[in-house]
Order: sequence, then C-alpha cells, then structure tokens
Amino acid sequence: MITRSRFIAALGLAGLLVTSVGCTDSLNAGPLVYVDNEALTHELKGKANLAGKPALQAKVRAALARLYGDSPNQIRVPEGSGFPRGGLTLANHRQIGEGESARIEPIQALLPNGSPDPAHRQAGGFALYRRNCLHCHGVSGAGDGPTATFLFPRPRDFRKGVYKFTSTPSGAKPHRDDLTRSIRDGLLGTSMPAFDALMSPSEIEQVVDYVMFLSMRGETELALIEEGSISDEKDADALGDDIVKEIATGVFEKWKSAQSQVMNPSTPRTASDRASVLRGRDLYLGRTKEKLECAGCHGALAKGDGPSFVPVDVFNMVVFGGDPSTRQERVDALDEKLRTLWNQKPDDWGNPLRPTNLNRGVFKGGRRPIDLFWRIAKGINGAQMPAHYPTLNEAQIWDLVNFVLALEHDPDLLASVPPAPAPRLAESGSTR
Amino acid sequence: MRNWSILFGLAALFSVAAFLYAPFAAEWWLPNPPGELHHSVSTLGREIDFLFLIILAITGLVFIGTQVVLVWGAYKFTDQLDQQGKPVRPATYSHGNHRLEVVWTLVPAAILVFIAVYQLGTWARIKYPSRAPKVPPLAEITARQFQWVVRYPGPDGRLNSPDDLILINDLHFVKNKQALIYLKSSDVLHSFFLPYMRVKQDAVPGLTIPVWFDSDRAGSFELACAELCGWGHYKMRGKVVVHETEAEFEKWASNRLAEQNRSQLGMASGAEGY
Repeated sequence: MITRSRFIAALGLAGLLVTSVGCTDSLNAGPLVYVDNEALTHELKGKANLAGKPALQAKVRAALARLYGDSPNQIRVPEGSGFPRGGLTLANHRQIGEGESARIEPIQALLPNGSPDPAHRQAGGFALYRRNCLHCHGVSGAGDGPTATFLFPRPRDFRKGVYKFTSTPSGAKPHRDDLTRSIRDGLLGTSMPAFDALMSPSEIEQVVDYVMFLSMRGETELALIEEGSISDEKDADALGDDIVKEIATGVFEKWKSAQSQVMNPSTPRTASDRASVLRGRDLYLGRTKEKLECAGCHGALAKGDGPSFVPVDVFNMVVFGGDPSTRQERVDALDEKLRTLWNQKPDDWGNPLRPTNLNRGVFKGGRRPIDLFWRIAKGINGAQMPAHYPTLNEAQIWDLVNFVLALEHDPDLLASVPPAPAPRLAESGSTR
Repeated sequence: MRNWSILFGLAALFSVAAFLYAPFAAEWWLPNPPGELHHSVSTLGREIDFLFLIILAITGLVFIGTQVVLVWGAYKFTDQLDQQGKPVRPATYSHGNHRLEVVWTLVPAAILVFIAVYQLGTWARIKYPSRAPKVPPLAEITARQFQWVVRYPGPDGRLNSPDDLILINDLHFVKNKQALIYLKSSDVLHSFFLPYMRVKQDAVPGLTIPVWFDSDRAGSFELACAELCGWGHYKMRGKVVVHETEAEFEKWASNRLAEQNRSQLGMASGAEGY
C-alpha cells in the first residue's frame, strides 16, 4: 500500500516537472548553432571547398561570427548591410547602432503593471522564424529542417541568395516585396503556406529581414570559401580583414542595388480577347519567327510533359516512389537515355525539377498578370525557365500571359491544333 | 481511511464549481464575440448551443447525483477495525436487485433516446444537402496541405470561370445573409471549422460538400482546421471577415479582383534601402 502511494506520488511529481519545464531550450538536443556549409569541410566534386584546410576553415568561421554573431541567439547585423527600417529587432534583443560597436539590449516589453510581458520574450525575426519557418528551412536557412526531407519541392536553401519568384532582372537579388509576397501569400502548389492569417504585417517584415540576414550570411560564407579555395593554407594574410570586408560589402551591394531594379511593364496588359490568346498560342507552339520552345518542356498540351524532361511517370517513380534517401538508387536504375535526361535537368540547388502543368491554373509565383509577365520576361532564377525579354517584346509577352491564363478554362485551346512536329524521344518510355 | 471520501467530495465540488464559473468567463465558455458572452452569432449556432446546454444540464444533474451517492457511501461505509484488527462490519454478499437494475437501465436509455430524437431536426437543418439554402454559392473552398484556397465566383456569379477571385485563407461574407460554400479537399482529410459559427465539417477528397452558415454580427472571426492533417495542421488558420453591408463586401471583392488583375506596379518602389 505504502509503496504504491509513493510510486503514484513520484509519477505525479514527474508529470508536474515535465509540464512546468515546458518548452524551454533546456530540452533541446544541444545548443542552437549555425550549421557549416558543406563546402567548408567536405570535398565536393566541381565546387570550391576548403576540405583539408583547417586554418582557413577557422578563419571563415571567425569572420562569420564577427560579422553576423556567434549563434542564432546572438545575432549581429553587420555594418553596411543596410537594414534601415526593421532588421534590428533580433531574437528577443534589440540592436542599437551598427557593426561591432553596436549595443544589444534585451527587449523588455512591459505589462501595464510594470512587470516584463512574458508574451514578448519571443520577439524579433529569429524568434518568429524559429516558430514558423525553422522546421522546414533549418537553423542556418539551408532548407534542411526536420520536415524538409518529406516535401516536394524542397524548401528553399537561402544561402545561395537565389530566389525563384522575383520582380528584379534575371539573376538579380529579389526585391524585398518579392519576399514579403512569398511569405504573405505562400507559394501555391508547394508546401509553403500563406502566413497572412498567422502573422501581422510587421511580423512578416521582421521575418523578411531575418531571411535576408540568413541569405547574406550564407552568401558571405560561400564567397569566403571560394576565396579560400584559391588561397594558400599557410599564408597568414589569406582571408584577412580587408578581404572579408570586401567580400561582405560585395554581398550587401548586390542586395541593395536590386531594390531599385524592379521591372515594371511599360504597357498594361493587352485585353484578353480571342485574337490575343491565339497569338499567344502561336508563340507557345513556336510558330512565330522567334521559334520559342515552350512545348519542349511544358509539352504540346502544356501539361508539363515535354520531351526535354523525363516522362511524368518516371519522375513520379523516382521522386515519390519510395524512401527519399534512396532516390539516387532509383535514378541509377533508369536506362541510360533517361538517366542522362534526368541529370541534365536539376535546379541550381541540385533538386529534381518539373515544368509546370499550365492547365491547372496553379502558379507558384502568383496568378496576377504581372507575376506571369515577370516569369516569362525574366525567367525563373535557379530553374530552367529562361528569360524571354527582350527576345519578345512586351505585347508578345502579354499575349503569352493571356494564353496561359486562358488555358485553365479552355482545355481545347491546344488539343484542337495538330501537335507540332517536334522531335520526340520516341523510345524514352518508362523503364518498367 | 475516511479522508479518501473527503478528497473525492472536494474533487466533485471543484468540478461542479468550475462548471458554474464557466458561463461567466470568456476563456472558459463557448467562443462568442467579446462583450457578448452568451450570444452565438449564427442562427444554427444558437440551436446547437441550446442542445449543448440541455445535455450539459442533464449530465450535470446526473453527475451531482452520482457524486453525492459515491461520497456518502464511501464516508458511511468506510472500513473500521476493532482492537484485534478485525473488521467491525463483516462484508455481506447480495445477489443484486432486479427492479433496481431495470430502473437504472431504462432511465438512462430513455434520456439517450430523447437526446437522439430531439436533435434530429437541428442535424437535418445543418447537414442535409437538401436543406441547403437556395442561394448562389459564396465560394468554393479547397483544403490542401496546408491552407484553404477560397475561390469566389467573381462578377459573373459562376464558379470556375475566368473572372473567379482566388484567395488563400481569406473568407469574407455579409452579415445576416446565408453563406453557402462548397467544400473540397485536394489531398487528405481536413475539417473546416468556424468556432464562432459552430460549423465543423470534414473536407473529404473526392467529395464536394455544401456547408452553410450566417452571422448576425460583423467583424473578424477565425477559421481553423479541426482534423489532424499532417505536420503543418496548425498552420491552417484563416481569416474570416463578416461585412456589415453587401456594398462593403462588393467593394472589398472588387479591390481584391483589381489586385488579382494587376498588370503594372502603381509606383516606383524601393528607391533606396529595403
């Protein structure tokens, strides 16, 4: 009797302890730290890396810590990065001033009675990122959070500073509003949800700041690795302060200059009448002098099944047909033709890529005419979609936009024309 | 060992007190607009609340009755030992009481039958597709992992036409007007949950399910997913805005449609910095 009541008391106490400890960092597997870029310590084929150069590796880590802070809990916004509004509300801290001399104070929002408000302990971009984004995008923004493996397309790796859905010229950094839009409205057709109902506009701005911060940090890391890979391990001056500063400034300048380069069509959208849609269809099918090859990727019926990519069933078998970690085995099992085709078409992050089925009316980068204009005019950074401006003039791009928007509601638009005699990979059927 | 009966008595008292306190505290009571703790905003919600209160009253009374008997029995018949450590009252065994068993079977059965029959009308008014209001649909809502895609019919009033307005997690309708939506799912089971309107309906892949509701208060409310649908289940929250007038709703819709049809930026943005 006595032993049992002791046991029950112990059980009750344990339960109390667990609930009172709650979700503090003390239950984490370890301290929250940035993860090194793989190229810092590993030999990567065809990529700059610092494998076997411990002195330079240490210099890269030290430079990053000096510029961006030691850990996600101690963020520093580097001098010259240019976050004029926002950006300085960090993880539960506020930075006053810039660079290494900046003062960092804890955020102390007070309740009406003067005591610290416990709800405000989790403030700032990182705190919001940690709650809403980290489980997919990872601590360092490498797109390697715990849920990332299960998603297709994979969450974005911010460290290259490449973003797909932008309003700036091809290859340029995104405008701040592009990132805001992606977070607020989500990317329809992917696992990126819309956060409009989950965060206030000012919170979304803080997350944008933090994403840009992670990008700048990742880009600086990559640039330092690249610089280090052509430096001598024994050279004491390699990756010196001047070089680090120059590299970081280069990264910041690219972001800053993109903010004034938004592409705004000078003519408004052509009225979406039948004539414009049919002109767009001719462009799509490559029957104009520009000889566009849209159907090569997006398919003769725009179902995303063109011959430049592996057939849909093969793609589905490789990507969704089993454990994500054994994907390479499924690629190796393909016949040579398919394997070559597969290896030609990854995105810039090395992930499998698929042209969009344009019949569904689902557009990841947004369905506004201006969004589609940007996709066609400037292409999609990091993916295989090329830029078409100025090969096409604005009127032609608007015709294409009208055609793409009409497809969803007019499935016969392409089915009613005889398929263009494009060279097809006739034998490239399925492997099974 | 009498202390145990006192402990059980206190636990029962605490439970009853919690239920007596609940109707006076917003966090403990049903989700209703601030300042109007006992006003459910939707017509069907008021019916549901009424049923809920009937069941709460029945179960509450039964709970009090059984707790009184339980505590009284535990107190009165607690074990007592004499100086030799033998029970003062030896146990006796009985073979049950036929009449008592019939009574405590029939009475709860009658109560359950009453509840089952009494709610039939409400259930039909809420769920039977044949009872759906004869109004043009407000929207088609497609649940997907992990958001609600809300497709409004646009100016022509027809769904799946080129002028549809498509928004994410943003449900708008007009005060005092029946709103009818068609609920779909594009991947797994979700559940469309409007706590303030007392609406909860599973979204089932392959089915198009009509759901209807109204609100007699304008303002902002909440949409949630009530079926664990995957790792991002908690992210499936939506905004629900009830407009005061039809004109206000139309103005909002035409603004959003203009944004959806945007082909040029309004002004040069981002001159310097971010």
